[in-house]
Amino acid sequence: MFKQTRLRSVVLAATLTGLIAYCVMGGFYAREIVVEIAILAILAISLDVVAGFGGMVSLCHGAIMGIAAYAYGILTVKFGLPPLPSAVAAVAGAAVFGTVVGWITGRTSGIFFIMATLAFGQMAYTLIFKSQWLGGDDGMSGLPRFDLSWLGIKMGSSLTYGLFAIALTAAVYIAAAWVLRSAFGRTLGGIHANETRMKALGVNTILHRARAMGFSALLAGIAGIVAAQHTQFISPELLFWTISGEVLIVVILGGLGTLIGPVIGAVAFISLKHQVSGITDHWHIVVGLLLIVIVVAGGRGLYGQSEHWLAMRAGKAEDKTGDKSGDRGHA
Amino acid sequence: MLEVRNLSKSFGGVRVAHDISFAIEPGERRVILGPNGAGKTTLFNLLVGELAPTSGDILLDGKPINGLSVSERARAGLSRSYQKNNLFENLTIRENLMLAAAAGQRKTTGMFRDCFGDRKVRETVDEVAELVTLTEMLDKPVRSSSYGNRRQLEVGLALATRPRILLMDEPTSGVGPAMIDGFHRLLQSLPRNLTIGIIEHDLDLAFDVADRITVLNFGEIVFEGTPEETRGNKVVRDIYLGDWQSNA
Repeated sequence: MFKQTRLRSVVLAATLTGLIAYCVMGGFYAREIVVEIAILAILAISLDVVAGFGGMVSLCHGAIMGIAAYAYGILTVKFGLPPLPSAVAAVAGAAVFGTVVGWITGRTSGIFFIMATLAFGQMAYTLIFKSQWLGGDDGMSGLPRFDLSWLGIKMGSSLTYGLFAIALTAAVYIAAAWVLRSAFGRTLGGIHANETRMKALGVNTILHRARAMGFSALLAGIAGIVAAQHTQFISPELLFWTISGEVLIVVILGGLGTLIGPVIGAVAFISLKHQVSGITDHWHIVVGLLLIVIVVAGGRGLYGQSEHWLAMRAGKAEDKTGDKSGDRGHA
Repeated sequence: MLEVRNLSKSFGGVRVAHDISFAIEPGERRVILGPNGAGKTTLFNLLVGELAPTSGDILLDGKPINGLSVSERARAGLSRSYQKNNLFENLTIRENLMLAAAAGQRKTTGMFRDCFGDRKVRETVDEVAELVTLTEMLDKPVRSSSYGNRRQLEVGLALATRPRILLMDEPTSGVGPAMIDGFHRLLQSLPRNLTIGIIEHDLDLAFDVADRITVLNFGEIVFEGTPEETRGNKVVRDIYLGDWQSNA
């Protein structure tokens, strides 16, 4: 069950502040990195909602992000609709897609759920890849950014866009944290913990899971909008399953089921990518090794492990009279 | 209120329930007796929908519910507790009861309000905790709770949905005499209009609380009657009460 602890709030605030500082003080390249982190963080938060708190390890979150990006491209470029309503419609479309996938796959669990979501994602990828109307593998260009000039905000500037992406990351985190603490989120936690019992208590677990996928897809759709507006170009690569795999790695790297962990994971992943790729082309090896260490150490992730250490230390300080439950349980 | 007609269930060639028919009246307290392997838990699983019958009908308020899922039957007012504790291990006792109370009050889908802060949910949790004597333990995690407390919570979860029919599968299995007395008091404090079905091994308790007793053996009903009739019945005595009689 999700808890927004003080530690989590502090880490979130510190991370966002760091990103803002890097964005303001850094140059164009730094801002590119910040936006890259923000997109990945939003997508990772979205995946953590279902994977970490609902036990639904989806391999179609990249595709959901891509569907929102393409929906946005179609509405703005093909139909010439204004950016803001197009973005809202695109995100809603992603949510509908997620709900449908969730409802159909809601009967499955574990490896079968993973494979079913993978199949849905690859289907979407193939459809877009083959579509001449959508530019096939050449993708689609000329996607507009939001026009906020009436507020005196120039979205064309890299600084403004970087800050915009950070603001959306914060908003998505808050929305996810809020929903996880709502009646809906509590019930999702209950289903994750003991589905048989939740059914016996009268909860339609398949429908609930579908809704969770829908909400998660809505957040993933926001990542799609940020990505589409960032380079103002989209290609089918966005939907390819390796993107979904990468996001899953980011979530585990940071800490599955902690919500803040995925944000940390995104920062670590993109930083590693840019730092290590300056030294060697094989930066994936470094990420791979780090992932192995984390999984072997208990799978808590960078943030989750730190939180665990702190809790253990606090526990030892209090443990003069208390009982040693010795639990290794995590979300 | 709850009626079963010619209910049968086979796993391949193994017949676990055969041609079971009975009706439980509103407010009735029915105890199901029978030796191990008689098909008592199977019967409960069929009633709540965790198993699908091979043939036969289950009726709730006169309407067949065979086609309803487990959760639909629960929402129709059918609640069960398990013989083996089936709890939310990593949560506290309070959180366990809150999930059940929220589910019973259909407060599961709101994305803005927290059902754990809901006044009615909290009230139900407090009332149920009082009934199953867990008020002092509410903030303890289930995984570090005693077996007895888990047993109480098992019944508490089933109660917290505010069911119309409560099915309890060996609620006192593995607990000591003090807790059996406690359970006895719990039954007496439950509203008289709540329909209850209990699988029970403690015969003193069974004879004391039951309005009627159904005895199962090898998946079939071998006897049904009042506690007095059950005591005096020869078939029942042969298959089930032999030990008890000699002990008494």
